[in-house]
Amino acid sequence: MVSPTRQSSGTQPNFPEIWQVGLSREKTMNNPFSHLQTDAHRRTFLKASGVGLGATALSALLAGDGFAAPQQGIPGLPGLPHFAARAKRVIFLCMAGGPSHLDTFDEKPKLRELDGQPMPASVTAGQPIAQLQGKELRVLGPIRKFGKYGKNGQTISDFLPWHREIADDICIFKSMVTEQINHDPAHTFMNTGSAISGRASMGAWINYGLGCETRDLPGFIVLTSVSSANPQPIASRQWSAGFLPSRYQGVQFNSTGVPVHYVKTPRGVPDRLQHQVVGSVQQLDQLRHQQVANPELLTRIAAYETAFRMQTSVPELIDMSGEPQHVLDLYGATPGDGSYASNCLLARRLAERGVRFIQLYHRGWDHHGSLNKNMTTCCKLTDKPTYALITDLKQRGMLDDTLVVWGGEFGRTPMSQGDKGETAGRDHHIAGFSMWMAGGGVQGGISVGATDEFGYHAVEDIVNVRDLHATMLHLMGIDHHRFSVPFQGLDMRLTGVKPAKVVRESLA
Amino acid sequence: MNEKKRFFPRSTGRLESRLYLPLLFCVLSSNAAWCEEDLAQEKVDFNRDIRPILSDNCFQCHGPDAASREADLRLDVEEDAKLDRGGYSVITPGKSAESEFVSRIRSADERELMPPPEIHKPLSPREIELLARWIDEGVDWSMAWAYVPPVRHAIPEVSHHEWPTNWIDRFILSRLEKEGLQPAGEADRVTLIRRLSFDLVGLPPTPEEVAQFVDDDRPDAYERLVDRLLASPHFGERMAIYWLDLVRYADTVGYHGDQTQNIWPYRDYVIHAFNTNKPFDEFTKEQLAGDLLDNSSIDTQIASGYNRLLQTTHEGGAQRKEYRAIYMADRVRNISQVWMGATVGCAQCHDHKFDPYTARDFYTLGAFFADLDDEIHLHTPAEDLSTLPTIRKPEIEVLSILQRERLVQCEDEIRKLEGSPEDAKVEQRKKEIETIKAAPGLTMIAKQCEPRVVRVLSRGDWMDDSGEVVGPAVPTFLSSIPLADGRRATRIDLANWLTDTDDGVGRLTARVMVNRWWALMFGRGIASVLDDFGGQGQPPVHPELLDQLAVEFLESGWDVKQMVRVIALSSTYRQSSIAPKELRDRDPYNELLARQSRFRVPAEVVRDTALRVSGLLQDEIGGPSVKPYQPAGHYRHLNFPAREYEHDTNEQQWRRGLYVHWQRQFLHPMLRAFDAPTREECTASRSRSNTALAALTLLNDPTFVEASRTFAERILAGAESQSERMEYAFRWATSRAPTEDEARVLKELLEKSRAYYESHPEEAKQAMTTGLRKVGDEVDQVDLAAWANVARAILNLGETTMRN
Repeated sequence: MVSPTRQSSGTQPNFPEIWQVGLSREKTMNNPFSHLQTDAHRRTFLKASGVGLGATALSALLAGDGFAAPQQGIPGLPGLPHFAARAKRVIFLCMAGGPSHLDTFDEKPKLRELDGQPMPASVTAGQPIAQLQGKELRVLGPIRKFGKYGKNGQTISDFLPWHREIADDICIFKSMVTEQINHDPAHTFMNTGSAISGRASMGAWINYGLGCETRDLPGFIVLTSVSSANPQPIASRQWSAGFLPSRYQGVQFNSTGVPVHYVKTPRGVPDRLQHQVVGSVQQLDQLRHQQVANPELLTRIAAYETAFRMQTSVPELIDMSGEPQHVLDLYGATPGDGSYASNCLLARRLAERGVRFIQLYHRGWDHHGSLNKNMTTCCKLTDKPTYALITDLKQRGMLDDTLVVWGGEFGRTPMSQGDKGETAGRDHHIAGFSMWMAGGGVQGGISVGATDEFGYHAVEDIVNVRDLHATMLHLMGIDHHRFSVPFQGLDMRLTGVKPAKVVRESLA
Repeated sequence: MNEKKRFFPRSTGRLESRLYLPLLFCVLSSNAAWCEEDLAQEKVDFNRDIRPILSDNCFQCHGPDAASREADLRLDVEEDAKLDRGGYSVITPGKSAESEFVSRIRSADERELMPPPEIHKPLSPREIELLARWIDEGVDWSMAWAYVPPVRHAIPEVSHHEWPTNWIDRFILSRLEKEGLQPAGEADRVTLIRRLSFDLVGLPPTPEEVAQFVDDDRPDAYERLVDRLLASPHFGERMAIYWLDLVRYADTVGYHGDQTQNIWPYRDYVIHAFNTNKPFDEFTKEQLAGDLLDNSSIDTQIASGYNRLLQTTHEGGAQRKEYRAIYMADRVRNISQVWMGATVGCAQCHDHKFDPYTARDFYTLGAFFADLDDEIHLHTPAEDLSTLPTIRKPEIEVLSILQRERLVQCEDEIRKLEGSPEDAKVEQRKKEIETIKAAPGLTMIAKQCEPRVVRVLSRGDWMDDSGEVVGPAVPTFLSSIPLADGRRATRIDLANWLTDTDDGVGRLTARVMVNRWWALMFGRGIASVLDDFGGQGQPPVHPELLDQLAVEFLESGWDVKQMVRVIALSSTYRQSSIAPKELRDRDPYNELLARQSRFRVPAEVVRDTALRVSGLLQDEIGGPSVKPYQPAGHYRHLNFPAREYEHDTNEQQWRRGLYVHWQRQFLHPMLRAFDAPTREECTASRSRSNTALAALTLLNDPTFVEASRTFAERILAGAESQSERMEYAFRWATSRAPTEDEARVLKELLEKSRAYYESHPEEAKQAMTTGLRKVGDEVDQVDLAAWANVARAILNLGETTMRN
């Protein structure tokens, strides 16, 4: 706290209330966010958000405070990154429902051999089980062929033909483990490092730590895609700021219709009148501030400026008319259809505009039955656009500093669920599954870790969710040990209290 | 600045916040000499200065948790720290130079240094100096303040005799005098009535109410105002907004499909309880154990719905045993945060690291809830749970307490009107009675079953069956519940223990609660962390005042209104919130209370204010949840089943914010933008953000757009000339007239808007189409649309929703 504010207090005036009221969770004296209350921080903030505010209120205000030219971006914590970052931004491709690792990246000949046979009890004894509770456990072999692709021969199944093309870009983690076997808590755990509600999600953490390179858009944006049958419900908890100031929370972009809630001006109000209304509010807030000296009003003036700018920047963002046909074809995107393909393209546009963390959900991966049919559908919807995103980023020179992560909240059982044959599916599985990373700082073309011969237990170089978080933070230049916020008596970390390690093998 | 300070704001923050304030100010001041002098004068206080350092830096390995204890050393236990360890002690009173403790925290050798560098918790030089001084001064050691029951203190003497109105003021003033500070003057009457109205009923005053109060020259005008507001049925609504956050009240189950559940009669119970000033101990008992009480009634059963407010899963493949553990932990977290101001939830996997709660305490507390018949949904097939509302038995079909009271009112009115010419009104009432009676609501209740076996789960692992079986009991370091004949303790025993001032922790509970009533009236508690009075929380700034408030609360018979009243009547409360820069710099968080605070009103009240000012507000009390306009597709991520949101199409549209359907996973975006919590967990204090999304909401949410155009109708009908209309409008929203400059800004907006609509009359018509409310053909729509923009600007002012 303190420290920045108070230490500089000898030479500069304090404006603590602006952030006290504006941001804090009422912890005030022990407010963990009071570094944001520094004068310098406020100046940067007001300065940058002052652009475009009519002539009067704000410019006068800024002039009075001796502010200089506007600056882009929102600053993060002083002292961050801890070391040189390899990636500037993250695109997290979340395959919600839990894709089968055994039918994508983790080939297990043993399962093919034992297909239809009882699963050895020694493997499953004492393990948590979801929908197969009390059922007879029989092996389901991989349903497609696998091949070796890329320079190092990455194992990829025929479900994902386009992934062959990016085999040398991705680092596959084949030994992922998680702690939660049901969707909702598993997502919460994947996103926040805890299954208990109320914690901060990774996008919020990263924005809190590193700030954002744009002020025209939120630093953490969530896209969800129109998908196949029985899409997974996803709670807004998954992009919550938790105990962090709420401005770090993810903002959902609607894939169809109005892109952001309330970004559209009311009926019968043209933009210039809306601007007039906003300008009047700002001027009146400023006049009030002159009477009562309430810095919260200054924060408000800046918020209204950003709001007004979002009314322009957001429509511009989703307007794909400037994208050449060959790019649309690369993704297979039809702008405005809300598909995963369109969202991948939108994710690239967000990345270009300086958004720090972009999370993209495809919600169709909970394949308890009809695995073959459902995998076919989901892979068809996601395989090519994922390839296109990597390729497009690469062509633009952006893959070097963009971290792309692909995976679900867990994997699926080697045991069959439902009848044999076409209707067979797989249940939730947490003891071993696959995810991949690509881009900034990641060693492409390799895989890390392995599961046992049944694809059940991760046995080699196990990577738990905390390790994944530690590795992501590391690539962003953050030492996860030293990135914490006090809350309810604890120093909260994205990586939690149990040990977490950076997966060194995955680093370039 | 070293790195630690950057990444562990707390570790440096702690120094300033927990040290005695003179020290704080000298840190702020550039006058180092003054600072040193002050340090030297002030004797180190264990709870204020030392315990926080030990807790934050040492207890992790040398604290209550036996499993992670190093070197067999406890620094949370006096005897252990001072123990003779064969020729040396870790802490030798009076002799810092001979204390191993000091040589270790001062060690230059990384292998010796404490805390070990790898835990990234280095002590600052000032902290080291304090610890050493504490030892040199003889090692004063006392129990953590939160566990020392509050006692009555002598009311301090003050020199400024005219200022205090009641005893609260003397505690505050004596501290201010010690600091050489003056309290702020009394706020003007307009500010006072706005402040009181927002704080006590959650609504802005009408211009008429403001004028009446401003013109009331009776000596007790202020007291009368306080009493009027306390008697208002909206008082219960305002208090309910807070209570529902604490107990995590919501209309949906929270996990996975987030299906709806039946519980709104509980909300009516809470509103009614605050309105009728139900003693807080009864309020506690009815909620925790309303189903078990000797005088159990429909209403105490409804109250027992408290036990059902946790998040539940209706996901296929949920393992019953796992969710048993999850539900129990949820309940322990909530009861300990709400009533004990403690984070016992931390002891689920291990003994608490900072407070004396053991993991066993966690499970014995959880065992109180092992008798709740609450598992039907865990053995119902998932597809049967994908209904709205979902299966959440046991439930009962009831009319809520407020509905039953309304029935009585209607019947009374009919009786009075009988024979009078007002047949229409009688018919209306009769119809209302029919409507109420025709639609009783279901509500979840607590019901006992054979208690489930509760084991201590090692590391919180629900699959581990090796742990000790425990029955219900309270944390052992606090006390115990005496039980005859080995009887199993019940939720009644727990409620009694929480409120019993002799054999239980009633006095501690009272202190936790008064601190929150205080926070509602000042924007922060006397102890600033409202749900953690433990070692990692913050000691109170005015400890004796907090004690005194707690004692008064108890002696009043847990009388909440009485406590709110005494705080409202104090001169401390009545102060102006405007303070010179000097004071704001010196006491940025307003801990000393040499002024009032100012802050934006809660999300629900932001909504209520727009509705009240516009004239749209339907202010009847209670009933089922309502559905205001909501952006299309807001629920598109929900499934099992998929959902379409249909907003209300009648006057329910304009009900107060606390009745809005509380969808945990996708709370109404307006509420979320203004920091209403999702109510997945206990929220004792909301954050107050000020974001672009909130600005977009106030500008463009149909609720506010409709309120603006309706407000414009009110403005046009309420005054004649343009300047009178400006003033009329401004008074509704801010309780005052605009200044000349302000009027000029609005006039410009009006003129530009009018010019536009005159040339675009179709757009003016369009501007009247947001929302349900119809505008008559006789109205000049161009004028109305122009004024609607002025109205919208006024509703968007910071001042409109600022309580100061």
